[in-house]
Amino acid sequence: LLSSAPAALRALPPPPVAVGVLHATRQLHTTQQSLAPLPPLPEKGGEVRHGLIPEEFFQFLYPKTGVTGPYMLGTGLILYFLSKEIYVVNHETVAGACILAVIIYAVKRFGGDVAAFADKLNEEKMAKALAVKNEAMQSLQDAIEAEKKEQWRVEGRSYLFDAKRNNVAMLLETNYRERLMMVYNEVKKRLDYQVAMQNLKRQKEQEHMIDWVEKSVVQSITPQQQKESIAKCILDLKALSKGAHATV
Amino acid sequence: MAGRRAALKAVDWAAFAERVPPSQRPMFNALKTRSDALTARLAVLPEKPPTIDWAYYKANIAKAGMVDDFQKKFSALKVPEPVDTQSAKIDAQEQEAARSSAEYIQASKARIAQYEQQLQKFKNMIPFEQMTLDDLHEAFPETRLDKEKYPYWPHKPIADL
Repeated sequence: LLSSAPAALRALPPPPVAVGVLHATRQLHTTQQSLAPLPPLPEKGGEVRHGLIPEEFFQFLYPKTGVTGPYMLGTGLILYFLSKEIYVVNHETVAGACILAVIIYAVKRFGGDVAAFADKLNEEKMAKALAVKNEAMQSLQDAIEAEKKEQWRVEGRSYLFDAKRNNVAMLLETNYRERLMMVYNEVKKRLDYQVAMQNLKRQKEQEHMIDWVEKSVVQSITPQQQKESIAKCILDLKALSKGAHATV
Repeated sequence: MAGRRAALKAVDWAAFAERVPPSQRPMFNALKTRSDALTARLAVLPEKPPTIDWAYYKANIAKAGMVDDFQKKFSALKVPEPVDTQSAKIDAQEQEAARSSAEYIQASKARIAQYEQQLQKFKNMIPFEQMTLDDLHEAFPETRLDKEKYPYWPHKPIADL
């Protein structure tokens, strides 16, 4: 009868677990190695009741003994140990109880603050690492941009050679034109010189001729002619003065 | 007269100036001033010199035949064009520049590929919150502690702490 009870009990369907569903745990690698990326580690550890007993224990006993099962088991066990003196109560017990009380009070009072402080330290470490990573990524982006810009600059090298060729062409053209101008100027200068020479010669000849004619005329005036001309002038003057006296 | 008047190609100085890197700006400015000076000099000179008025000189110069002689020699005169010595050098420079710029672009592309690769590595990294120490050493090999070289904690020279 006893041996058939577990079989009969096992045949019953398991009762639905409605109380306290556990958080999803990590899959253990039970089969051959899988190369898929592992899911991230959980943020918090397994749930624990009264700081000592894991929740799985309560869930394990729930189908058979319900919600109060583990508590009854615990109470029973403690009473058994005390009454049968498997655990002996002595001075250590009192000391242990006081220490336990202090510890529990301290954890309940300061636990949150200490945890927050530790979390802050970790956050700072993470933030620093993240900043480094972001900076590295940014500098890589900038480097890529700079390289692309340099490539674009290199494409413009044809401008340089166009400018150089233009300069050379301009120099040649300027030189040629200067030569033409020089030829023209030289020829013109020579022709103008000839013309100027002619004009100068003409002028000099004229002046010389005039001087010579004057000189010869002056020379040809003989003393006889001079006397006659002076007498005539005097007569003319007298006649003029008479006429002038008459008018005045 | 072929080759006398190689047409001047219009150089877009604005676009050229954009592409000059800042380290070479003085050279660019020198080139520009030189080009401008040459353009100015060219603009001053007329394309053809003014014609000589032979009739006036023939009428006014008494010496017989001199003007005709001049005229004949003048029209027969051919002014030699200046020889172009630099164009070949410029073409050679251009070839050289084409080659070196192709090399530079190759190297630049290789660098870009490298940077891209590193960037991808950074982008594909798992976030720091989910990393274990092993993952960190994988992603950043320089964080790995050399336990053979420094067998005692902290596994790196004290100066590096």
